Amino acid sequence: MDMYNTAVRPSLVEGNKSYRQVTSDIAGPAERTPARWWYIAMTVATLALLFGLWAMYVTVVEGLGTWGLNNSVGWGWDIINFVWWIGIGHAGTAFTIFLIVFRAKWTASISRAAEAMTVFAVMNAGLFPALHLGRIWLIFYIFPYPNTRGPLWVNFNSPLFWDVFAILTYLLLSVTLWYFGMVPDLATLRDRATSKIRKNIYGFFSMGWVGSVGNWVRYEALAKILGGLAAPLVVSVHTIVAIDFAVSVIPGWHTTILPPYFFVGAIFSGFAMVLTIMILIRKTFALTDFITKSHLDSICRVLLFGSMVLGLAYVTELFVAWYSGSEYEFFTFFKSRATGNYSAAFWIMIVCNAIIPQLLWSKKIRGSLGAMLVISIIINVGMWFERFVILISSLAQDYLPSSWVGYSPTIVDIGIYAGTFGIFACGMLMFIRFIPMIAISEVKGLTNQEKVNREDDNK
Amino acid sequence: MKQKDLIAVFDNDRDLVKAIGTLKENNIPVKDVWTPFPVHDVLKMLGRESRLPYFSVAAGVGAVIVTFAFLYYTAVIDYPIRYGGKPYFAFPSFVVIIFLLTILLTFISTVIVFQVRTGLFPGKEAEVPVTGTTDDKFVISVGSKEGLADEIITEAQVILSANGAVEITEQER
Repeated sequence: MDMYNTAVRPSLVEGNKSYRQVTSDIAGPAERTPARWWYIAMTVATLALLFGLWAMYVTVVEGLGTWGLNNSVGWGWDIINFVWWIGIGHAGTAFTIFLIVFRAKWTASISRAAEAMTVFAVMNAGLFPALHLGRIWLIFYIFPYPNTRGPLWVNFNSPLFWDVFAILTYLLLSVTLWYFGMVPDLATLRDRATSKIRKNIYGFFSMGWVGSVGNWVRYEALAKILGGLAAPLVVSVHTIVAIDFAVSVIPGWHTTILPPYFFVGAIFSGFAMVLTIMILIRKTFALTDFITKSHLDSICRVLLFGSMVLGLAYVTELFVAWYSGSEYEFFTFFKSRATGNYSAAFWIMIVCNAIIPQLLWSKKIRGSLGAMLVISIIINVGMWFERFVILISSLAQDYLPSSWVGYSPTIVDIGIYAGTFGIFACGMLMFIRFIPMIAISEVKGLTNQEKVNREDDNK
Repeated sequence: MKQKDLIAVFDNDRDLVKAIGTLKENNIPVKDVWTPFPVHDVLKMLGRESRLPYFSVAAGVGAVIVTFAFLYYTAVIDYPIRYGGKPYFAFPSFVVIIFLLTILLTFISTVIVFQVRTGLFPGKEAEVPVTGTTDDKFVISVGSKEGLADEIITEAQVILSANGAVEITEQER
């Protein structure tokens, strides 16, 4: 496996590990009783989840009037958080594509956790539009099926309807990629299990996997097909989210730059979240040999690139708002966003997304875990404010000054957002407790076993 | 002719690949190989290739046709409604739905075919001659349907142990 050990990139798995060591290092955390911090984190996450459930209950029982929305601002925190979560989700799929389609082997040790993040983030994202329906018990109306109302089919021309299919397909495909990706590792856990109940549960989900030639040859084919299908899908999902905005005539939304700009923003915020999670996981579970500093460095380089593209997009929007000569566009970008009521959010967005990540040019910062952790969190704060700026500034002050209003979220809005953090944290905590965080079978192909063998021969 | 297989266990993929190479040179049939991770040399040497991609392409083409027919039927024939002055047959909008549904239907049908062909389904018992193939053991089974002659078994045993097999057992069928 020397082909992956080049002078350009340090070895992907450090510490001359044997296959047995790789297995026990990665499977270990899923087999031990968790430390006390895990229970504390789980308690906090469950409390957040309960807060969210209460807020969702109020939303469903009393209606959307409990949210901060009003006649002018019809999309508030719900859609901000929807776009924010789904953007975060994009990174997991991006890692899978890097690994399977581009064969970037360094992503092998990150893709599993990133995909877990995708699954929970997309689940959270899907919650918001569903709750925004108001009468959620009629949600089946949005699916085109033969019905007794005509049959009245759905409006295939609406990007909001495209979104339904995009999110649904995306959720199903990411769950499938994640689950099938872990089948060989679940089999490893099954074979290592000492208690009967563990053996049965892992045995059930590992689908009788044994790693025979017939298993592997079809498995690899399946991985390539699913990865290949995920690649165009992930680009289309955030494009369609952007088109939800761009086909409207609201100033600040009605621009052609929105789809690529949204997509880069999605990858950017997702990679930042991956960085946050990786820094926390590698230290806590002693996986520093698999998620090396070189891995974190690579993520930082992607972030740096994303930051520059996003910075360019911000400047382009401002330029076009002036150059187009449209007074409404000019008002939205220069009066409302850059200098007006929403200037604080606008400048937080610029500083967090376009300026602070430039620190990653420094090799010293790319080597400092603390600095990277802080920057990755700052980026996600910035990305939340980006969506806030796009939505609220455009809606609160549009063409008619008589309909200008302010907007502030209610406790129910905040509760649902907190609840989605609860879902995300509970999901990730369960993931690190019961599932190998790194794809064991992928990583075994990258170890220095060959080197170990040669040293054995020389003895 | 004895109805039995020879099971050999290796500690690493390098020895495994060498052993399979020598077995093939001597025309000794390799029945199956179990590895903890995909060893591409083995897949290549045994000449195994998946036809899953061909199925996938066919499923994709089918999904495009089915989705287009569905959209045309619902939006143009069954219950035509004007939305925003657009024509009933609004092809650019159809493209997006066709794109998404093609991905959805293709990946679902591919996964189903994968499960049918590999025989893997949730709850299936794992059938493996030696435990540890999901950890660090590389296992070859030598044998064929009709069974092997005694001299071939002896020859295979010699080849396997010469190439570094750590454990060789005979398994009755």
